[in-house]
Amino acid sequence: MSLFISLAGVLIAFALNATPAMALSLNPDAASPGIEDANTLHWILFVVILAVIVVVNLAILKAARPRSRAVTPKPGRKVSQVKLAIGLGVFALALFVVATVFSDKSREIPAVNAEPVAGQVKGEPLEITATGSQWLWRFNYPNGAFSYRRLTVPAGVTVQLDLVSTDVVHGWNVPELTGKAQAIPGKTNKVYFRADDPGVYTSRSSVLSGQGYDTMEIEVNVVSPEEYEAAIEELKTDIQDAQDKVEAQFKAERDKSEAAADQVGKAETNNDAESAEAE
Amino acid sequence: MSRTTSYPQTMPPTRPEISSDGPEPARTRWAQLATSADHKDIGRILVSVAFGSIFLAALELLLMRAQLAVPENVFLKGVTFDRLLSVYGETAIFLVALPLIIGLLYYVVPLQIGSRTTAIPRVGQTGLWLFIFGGILLYGSFLFTPPEAGINPLPPFSDATFNPNNGVDVWIGSTGLITLGLLMVAIDLLATLHNLRAPGMAWRRAPLFTWAGAIVTWLFVVIAPIFLAAISMLMIDRLYDGGFFAGDEGGSPILWQHLSYIFFTGVYMSVAITFLAAIGEIVQTFTGRELPRKAVTRSFVAIAIIGTLAWTQNMLTVPIPSGWKYFGMLMSLALIVPFGLIFYNLISTVSQSDFHMRAPLRFALGALSLASIGLAAEIAQSTIAVATQLSETYDAWAATHFTLIGFVLFGGFAAVTYWYPKMTGRQLNEDRAAKSFGLMFVGTIIALLPLFAAGVSGQVTDSYRYFSFEDLGVYNLIAGIGTLILFVGIVLAIGNLVASRSEEPAATPDPYRGDSLEWLALSPPPAHNFDVLPDVHSTRPMRDIREAVIRRDAETAAAEDAAPVSA
Repeated sequence: MSLFISLAGVLIAFALNATPAMALSLNPDAASPGIEDANTLHWILFVVILAVIVVVNLAILKAARPRSRAVTPKPGRKVSQVKLAIGLGVFALALFVVATVFSDKSREIPAVNAEPVAGQVKGEPLEITATGSQWLWRFNYPNGAFSYRRLTVPAGVTVQLDLVSTDVVHGWNVPELTGKAQAIPGKTNKVYFRADDPGVYTSRSSVLSGQGYDTMEIEVNVVSPEEYEAAIEELKTDIQDAQDKVEAQFKAERDKSEAAADQVGKAETNNDAESAEAE
Repeated sequence: MSRTTSYPQTMPPTRPEISSDGPEPARTRWAQLATSADHKDIGRILVSVAFGSIFLAALELLLMRAQLAVPENVFLKGVTFDRLLSVYGETAIFLVALPLIIGLLYYVVPLQIGSRTTAIPRVGQTGLWLFIFGGILLYGSFLFTPPEAGINPLPPFSDATFNPNNGVDVWIGSTGLITLGLLMVAIDLLATLHNLRAPGMAWRRAPLFTWAGAIVTWLFVVIAPIFLAAISMLMIDRLYDGGFFAGDEGGSPILWQHLSYIFFTGVYMSVAITFLAAIGEIVQTFTGRELPRKAVTRSFVAIAIIGTLAWTQNMLTVPIPSGWKYFGMLMSLALIVPFGLIFYNLISTVSQSDFHMRAPLRFALGALSLASIGLAAEIAQSTIAVATQLSETYDAWAATHFTLIGFVLFGGFAAVTYWYPKMTGRQLNEDRAAKSFGLMFVGTIIALLPLFAAGVSGQVTDSYRYFSFEDLGVYNLIAGIGTLILFVGIVLAIGNLVASRSEEPAATPDPYRGDSLEWLALSPPPAHNFDVLPDVHSTRPMRDIREAVIRRDAETAAAEDAAPVSA
């Protein structure tokens, strides 16, 4: 009896709790063509899975029903095991075909934009390298600029993201644009996406990588191509400025110490001269 | 058709004259147990350790869920959480699932095939002690550094560069000892199965659980050496700069993922096969019907082979050739056929029968219910497009946990309550078992269902905290409450197993009128199992024996009708 109640509880809990929650949050906002296919497949599978769970659990519920001792059991209807296996096989094969079709579509490289942005070879995706290190992502742009944590990409431009790692395995994870892909040392994992509209997508790494794992954030900033070009130029200028500043500072320090050394040298020469005179 | 008699059981032994207690043990009870090479003692120790570890794993899970119950919680430090996570993962796989399946098989299968002993008992005994040292090493490491590199410590993170302390060494040492130990026990069981079956016990007459024993031990003999090789390489990498898993030195971190996932997927399948077979035995006994043997045993073989070949299902986000990913997807979806066949046969057999609901059947149906949710959810996890969204999130965690909690915890309690009279010689308190079942079942549902929603909302696993702007608080809070209920249920259920040993009346050898030969032996069986080795003529040898006894008694009664023998 308590099994009966518990099982009824499952279905009620499922209906009240999980279904609306899952249905509402099932789709991350698809911001790249491949993700839309992944979402469609997820919807199809969600319905299939829910149907399987409900059918199996209702059957268990029926099997566990309390028996009245007076009723004699009905002799079971014989079902051919071979036919059952073939039926299940057809079901599995259908799922495989559907999953393959949508997986292929979601893995396709989105159509490359006609007008290349700065640093993009015409007809090929814009190549950006994302390097995972404990516990920060670094993005290298074609013009030599780089940024940490925040990736800026142009809208409407197909991007090829080369995921590499300098230390441990890191989980690249932006559900709206690329989904997940592991950055593994010694290997390049390529993902492609094309964000059609500007927007900001935040996420975090998905493979345990040590003490700073929980703060290893990713922010993808999708802006218009002009803004993108300006942004990476600004980055480049900023980096050059910073480099110049460091060099200038270094030079100043060196000059200062050289000047000091000269003074000391002069003083010593003077001292020598004085002592020589004294002698 | 035999019908189960009503509870409680006070039937006299089916055939008291063919079993005896054997000679008195020469040593005290504990010394006897510690030095025993008897498969029943070893099996009982393995099962007891597994149930003790269920408590530990549940406690660790409860602590982790308490930390995650609210966003930005400061209950545990990050490093403490990582250690709990790593130890939890190892406990659940190596100290609960594996010893439970190997221990149950090692206890029951020699009895089921009518054997007086195992083929190479010293190998099994050595295996037990290697296993115990492995467990002591893991929990002893709390005195210095427990493992902290995650459930599956992926190199290079688990290399000496990034994990210089002893945590990963402990992981390697303890999993190595446990795997080697259980491999030895499995080899002993395999030799027994192939050499010591009773006269007439052909494979076509062997019970389902014996079939599971053969399939699981063969599978373990294949996958355990792969894992032992992998952890040896990891150890060489750590201690002697081996470079097997170093990306820049001719090795590859992906190699570790292949090797470890072959093993973990094989363990997952072994667990499923063992407990589906145990549930099959329970269903057959309580409904008095036979499952279609060919379909079910062939499905077990299919699960073992296809399921283990589906290991790349765990690697869909890794840069491997896409052919591997489609292969993994095909193999995981092909599993629908054998799992579907077994589920259909089990559920329809119960549905079409008349029976009295007893604790083992209750746990068995609960196991099927929970595992069906987990296995169905794995369908989404095994397709490439959805896995790139949902793997490494709590959706994957919930799917795996539904399946494994269903099979290991509920299937484990089903099997242990079913064979409890045989193992302990006492009956189990079924009222308390039913109550603890209710708590555990409801707790599992509440603990895991919200995690599906948390996973599709993007919560990644293995992180010791999340932030309030991620809107994950409500799911984790519900999951925390569910875990607490589950924990209380587990404590009560284990407490019932302990308390029933001293409080409940003695059990008869054959309390359920089972069909397989373990019910011929006394409860608990003497050291030599059987005084008389039975001849097996059908798939239901015990029923044949009962009928023969009834026939003989009738003949005796008819012959001695005039002069009844005084008692």
